Amino acid sequence: MSTRTRSALAVLAICTLTLSACAKGNAGGGNTAGGTAAPSPTNLTELFAPPKISIGTADDSKGPAIPPEGVVKGGTVTMIDRDDYPHLDPGRVYDNVTANFHLMISRVLTGYKRIAKGEYKVVGDLATDAGTASDGGKTWTFTLKDGVKWQTGEPITSADVKWSVERLFASYITEGPAYVQQWLTSEDYKKDYQGPYDGKELSNIETPDDKTVVFKFKEPHADASYAFAMTGYSIVPKAKDTKEKYDKEPVASGPYIIAKHVLDKSMDLERNPNWDPATDPIRGAWPDKWHLEFGYQSLQATDRLLAQAGDDKKTFTFYTRVAPERTRQVLQDPALKDRILRQPSPFGGYYYFNMDRVKDVKIRQAIAYAWPTQQIQTVNGGPDVTVISTTILNPSVAGWQDYDVFGFKQHPQGDIAKAKELLAQSSNPHPTIVYGYNNTPTQQREVVAIKNQMQKIGVNIVAKPMDTNTWYDQTGKVDNGLDMYWGGWGADWPTANTVFPVLFGPVTDGGYNQSHLRDPAITAEIKRIQALPDADQANQAWAALDKKIMETITPLVPALNDVGLQIRGSLVGGAEVDPISWVISPNTIFVKNS
Amino acid sequence: MLRFLTRRTLGATVTLLIIAVVTFFLFFAVPGDPARLFCGKICTPESLIQVRHNLGLDQPIFVQFVQWLSGIFVGRDYPAYGHCPAPCLGYSFVNKEPVFDAIIDRMPVTISLTIGAAIIFLLFGVSMGVIAALRQGKPLDKIASVSSLIGASVQIYFIGTLAVYFLVFQWHILERPQYVPFTENPLEWASGLLLPWIVLAVIFTANYTRMTRSTMVEQLSEDFVRTARAKGMSQRTVVLRFALRGTLIPIVTIFGLDVSTLIGGAIITETTFSLQGIGRLSIKAVVDSDLPMLMATVLVAAGAIVVFNVIVDALYAVIDPRVRLS
Repeated sequence: MSTRTRSALAVLAICTLTLSACAKGNAGGGNTAGGTAAPSPTNLTELFAPPKISIGTADDSKGPAIPPEGVVKGGTVTMIDRDDYPHLDPGRVYDNVTANFHLMISRVLTGYKRIAKGEYKVVGDLATDAGTASDGGKTWTFTLKDGVKWQTGEPITSADVKWSVERLFASYITEGPAYVQQWLTSEDYKKDYQGPYDGKELSNIETPDDKTVVFKFKEPHADASYAFAMTGYSIVPKAKDTKEKYDKEPVASGPYIIAKHVLDKSMDLERNPNWDPATDPIRGAWPDKWHLEFGYQSLQATDRLLAQAGDDKKTFTFYTRVAPERTRQVLQDPALKDRILRQPSPFGGYYYFNMDRVKDVKIRQAIAYAWPTQQIQTVNGGPDVTVISTTILNPSVAGWQDYDVFGFKQHPQGDIAKAKELLAQSSNPHPTIVYGYNNTPTQQREVVAIKNQMQKIGVNIVAKPMDTNTWYDQTGKVDNGLDMYWGGWGADWPTANTVFPVLFGPVTDGGYNQSHLRDPAITAEIKRIQALPDADQANQAWAALDKKIMETITPLVPALNDVGLQIRGSLVGGAEVDPISWVISPNTIFVKNS
Repeated sequence: MLRFLTRRTLGATVTLLIIAVVTFFLFFAVPGDPARLFCGKICTPESLIQVRHNLGLDQPIFVQFVQWLSGIFVGRDYPAYGHCPAPCLGYSFVNKEPVFDAIIDRMPVTISLTIGAAIIFLLFGVSMGVIAALRQGKPLDKIASVSSLIGASVQIYFIGTLAVYFLVFQWHILERPQYVPFTENPLEWASGLLLPWIVLAVIFTANYTRMTRSTMVEQLSEDFVRTARAKGMSQRTVVLRFALRGTLIPIVTIFGLDVSTLIGGAIITETTFSLQGIGRLSIKAVVDSDLPMLMATVLVAAGAIVVFNVIVDALYAVIDPRVRLS
């Protein structure tokens, strides 16, 4: 085999690994591929308690941010990751990694304030509080704080806020969230309004004065405080909006400005002199400067951080996980204990039943009872890098309540007797299930475990390998020819309002109702809960619905929850994986003196 | 010679055009919709249509190709970004950067990587091959054969990763691979690239050693070498003036191919050492379904091979005058 042929094969291998990682979420996935860590005596489910997230008051919304223990102000911190950020225009940001970066340069009406480890409050960021609802939750009023400015020194006004939302209707913005736009107009919001550039305004965003902005939605939305915390709703200066070009020349409202940016290579941030910490309850902005480097694969970043030569002691990574090749070393070396960070994913993964094809609930429930949870966990690297999930909602979602209808934790090897009993009562005691899977090494091993287990209860699994590149396109089709397949979903904010309406919403090609659940009672209940004006009441109702769906319909089997494992340089303080975004937040980072 | 070069240049242009056509149309033959990648998490059919329009993917494929091709020669106007002067290779789908700028920005990294490595593997490979040929069956020959066998067997991502781990992070012998522009600091440029050069050289030297040795052995048994020796010429003159000259023809051929392949993008080397060259750009373009960037990197790779083939052909004529006569 020639050198060139070998090179070509190696490229293919790298591409395959890259794509398989991409196919399981945008934070780089867990340490799953080839993970070989020895089982840990630690019960990760107990160790990682779900975060407490509540709505804060006006007092909570006052700056400055609560400093992390031992904080030191000043210095330069270095961050290394694989990719540069696809968008500097915050209106075009949806992914968690880019949103995390924008915490340093962009501000929103509301945001998440860290109170203590695992405890967060939704507070006013630019606004004086998390918003005031009236008219049964249809009208939301925000008042801007005094002293909030652009990097140019100009004050941030309510006109900027109105403009920032209106511009999201423009044709060139297609990547960001759509919630607020749809709440203001309709599902097909771009047909209703084409943005403010031709002089037209949205009449249901009112700005009675420079400090006040009023949003009048068509329906009640108890979650507006959460929605406005999304980076996509960051405020953009009306006077400096350059449309498409703004993606290259953003104006900072956050604590830092971009001093230098070499695309795909590096970025340097310096302090924004017009950012006042007294107005900001969220961002500590402890380092004077940030140096960001891009282009590091997981193994290279891990080795660099393990060696931490020279200034690499002041280096960390926002999202790059410890490479699977180093997982064992990192977890077992006592010297590294203080430098590792672990956090389960806040996103959900599911093995969906296609209810158009697997119509008998008894068959679905039999498969769920027999599900080889433990075997799949072993294939995915063991309990050090995964936790067993039993609910539709991720534990990080507000109001989550634990239950285990099918005994995934009690019988991780599967309850064969119960499954056989249910199958005997079903319409077909020996069904054939076409199982589509992403053709990656880990998934291939999962299929073997599933196939062997299902044979024990008389279910014949026909495994169908599918191309990683087109995985979502194929499984996303309504008529996909499959009975069961994996799919993922991450809540856009930590309430179930961005989970159930999506997972069990309209059944369309490319949609996310991948179980094709069409139950009028469930749809009505979702609508009812969405209309509840009280967030706590809604959270309780979502949790009850979660259990009800699994008990009575069983449209899916919850997949394992990956545990992110990261490492930081020894002089990086305040590093903590954010339980909402699953990346290390810049808000608490500081550079230690020694 | 001028006629020869004109003919080859015309042939090269046609080759590049064919490659461009094939790449462009293959991109659309692959299943999957690139517009889906730029359509947010909840992508409505209307949004998808809008994204296709924004990317220019709503035009017939032939029209898209003609627009892309004409941009190279006369430039293009983009409503969102203004005029893109010739040679305009378009704007990246992903970061909206002019593709030509990205190529120009990355090229010094790849060229630096290639030049340093090429010098090392050519010098070492040919020297070891000559020594092995002159010491046939002796320990030096065996050492050269074994080391070239090892070099030919290992992979860049394997030896590269090991080298970084031990030489940089564990033993601190070499600096962490990085690219510093030559014009900024020549010493840091060399020290930052030394490890990738060495690793590439280890891999590539093997071919040159084996090729040089076998050709040199043949040359040393030729009549003209025997004649030179019979005339009392020194071993040094016989080897350097006669035998080595004949050995150089196949060496120049593989050297041209290797250098052009590296300039087209040392994907694995750049990935292993976190260097942001053409190779990384091309693999990112594939993963991101970034058609303009993909087209540009393919053209760079193909262009490098075509250009170096012309150079190699010209060098044949210099090394062996019989080529000119024929």
